[in-house]
Amino acid sequence: MNNIWLVFKHEYSRHVLRKRFIIAVLSLPLMALVIIAASFLAVGSGYDGRPAGYIDQSGLFAHAQQLPVEKDEFMPPIQFRAYMDEAAAQADLENKTIQALFVIAPDYMESGNVQMIALDSPGSQVQSDFRSFLVSNLLTGKDPNVVDRLTKGSTLKIKNIEGSREMADNNFLAVLVPIIAGVLFMVSINTSGGYLLQAVVEEKENRTMEIMITSVSPAQLMAGKILGNLSVGLTQVVIWVLGGVAAINLLMRASPELEVGSLITPSYFWLIIGTFIPSFIMVAALMAAVGATVTETREAQQVSGLFTLPIFLPLWFISVIMSHPNGVLAKVLSIFPLTAPLTLPMRAVLTDIPALEIILTISLLILTAVVAIWFASRAFRLGMLRYGKRLSWKEVFRRA
Amino acid sequence: MSTIQVENIVKSFGSQRAVDGVTFEVNPGEIFGLLGPNGAGKTTTIRIILDIFKADVGRVSILGGPMNEEKKNRIGYLPEERGLYQEIKLEQCLTYLATLKGLSHAEATKRIGAYLERFDLAEHRKKKLKELSKGMQQKAQLIVTLVHEPDVLIIDEPFSALDPVNTQMVKDLLLEERAKGRTIVLCTHQMHQVEELCDRIVLINQGKSVLYGGLGEIQRRFAGKDLILRTPTPLPAVLPGIDAYERTNGGYHLRLSTGSDPQAVLAGLLSAGITVEQFEIAMPTMDEIFIRVVTGDTPNE
Repeated sequence: MNNIWLVFKHEYSRHVLRKRFIIAVLSLPLMALVIIAASFLAVGSGYDGRPAGYIDQSGLFAHAQQLPVEKDEFMPPIQFRAYMDEAAAQADLENKTIQALFVIAPDYMESGNVQMIALDSPGSQVQSDFRSFLVSNLLTGKDPNVVDRLTKGSTLKIKNIEGSREMADNNFLAVLVPIIAGVLFMVSINTSGGYLLQAVVEEKENRTMEIMITSVSPAQLMAGKILGNLSVGLTQVVIWVLGGVAAINLLMRASPELEVGSLITPSYFWLIIGTFIPSFIMVAALMAAVGATVTETREAQQVSGLFTLPIFLPLWFISVIMSHPNGVLAKVLSIFPLTAPLTLPMRAVLTDIPALEIILTISLLILTAVVAIWFASRAFRLGMLRYGKRLSWKEVFRRA
Repeated sequence: MSTIQVENIVKSFGSQRAVDGVTFEVNPGEIFGLLGPNGAGKTTTIRIILDIFKADVGRVSILGGPMNEEKKNRIGYLPEERGLYQEIKLEQCLTYLATLKGLSHAEATKRIGAYLERFDLAEHRKKKLKELSKGMQQKAQLIVTLVHEPDVLIIDEPFSALDPVNTQMVKDLLLEERAKGRTIVLCTHQMHQVEELCDRIVLINQGKSVLYGGLGEIQRRFAGKDLILRTPTPLPAVLPGIDAYERTNGGYHLRLSTGSDPQAVLAGLLSAGITVEQFEIAMPTMDEIFIRVVTGDTPNE
């Protein structure tokens, strides 16, 4: 046990304390932050928080209430100042204490006419805020629930026939989040698989295998290596997820109408777990197997490309899968073990997958993982002391 | 009880028989030479002893039984395929490997510090392994072999890549380890090192053990008909019991005739009034024995 821990510690600290890892980990959330910041900046730069003025010629808004301001709002609604005469309003407009001036026509109730006067183009929000201001004040004294419904409009929800799933038109994040999470997860499985591959090949490149297996058992060595390198990937995911949660929080604060929750149901959660755990093991074992059969890092990377490519293949067909989640392509991709980890959760968001199909997919994944482990341990035993000569895959299958 | 017992082991790779019935024992506290030409099966034999390979047939016992995980910490192994992690720093690499042999981190650091001083590597401790010369790496590997003070040392070609100064240092080190009571298996084909260091040897050729026993005893078995004589007296043309002789640098090389006894020859020389400064039976060098055995010659008996 102590030996596994020592190997684990060595493998883990070797990667995590390196500059390369820190840069790799930080680059993704940093990029996301830059994108989010840029979009905030784009929205925020159009925002002008100065109050606007209005002259009420209709007499309907004598006791007008301001739009309610919520605490910590990113872009709080604009306040509207009442003016009695046009001269004072014009003066304030000129010295820029107000960004725009609205003149409500005497026949507003009949015509709905409002005139807006501004020196240069006013903030993006001022017109819609003024419209809300008018509506909410016209509705003063009505049942607050009615007022609320009228101002916010209706929420459209799309349901399937059985009613087991639904999707509201305002929670596109709920579709996006699992896909992004899946991609991140697979990226980190792949990264740590890559580290693992390197860690196995390295024993050969450095010819340290004999020293290692006369100090620890092959099982301890492999366990330490697998746990150590997968933990590197896990560290990456944890940092990313924390970053993601922080980003989503920020996003929610800016636009509270977005909803994430409703689609990540317990059954979806278990589907993700059921898909990802066997795929995690499958990728790790495949990487270890490649590491055991080849002799150099470069060769290892070329061979491992053969199965890292299919893992990300579904991303190329993402539009096809999303528009036809029950099409032949989507079904094939979600059953084939290497493409399943990304396709199955993606389809599950968009459609109902028959239970039988899910069971088939996950069973195939588990089977592939088991075969990969068997293959890896065999290849490791046969190939561990082969230096400079590649172990042929035929040999691994044939020889004991 | 012997430290290592190898009984009639056989190992094949595919159709090739790498080891074909090797038997020997290594006694506690001795330096045992495992000799043989390249490809004779030495390394395979060692790997079977260390349980890296399983023998197809035969039995191996080390430290009183089959190899197990606990015994790994009592064995120091210098493999023929030298290898250390090239990408990390010397000290870090040695400490890691030492802790895998059961030392605590603090103890490993302390002992490695001492060894680095002794091996003139102290100033390189923060360098990556790949920046060190081959000889330095070999010394570093020796540290890994010795640092946990193992009961048994198995050392495959320890002198390759070393200059004469370091060769002498390693020899002294091996003798020192023997003096501490450690058992050492020295695997080599450098015969002059064997003569200086080994107590007993086994010679393996084409997977079979062809010569086994104490160094002196083996040399006596191969010592044949040659005598070395140093004398200031000129020799007569004919000497009793001697077929022929030739003058060598500072003496004579005598060839014993069949059936005569060296002691009788000595008595004859003395009674003939020849002053004997040196008289000895010429021992063949291990190099000669090695070549004779490997080329199929038999002992002179």
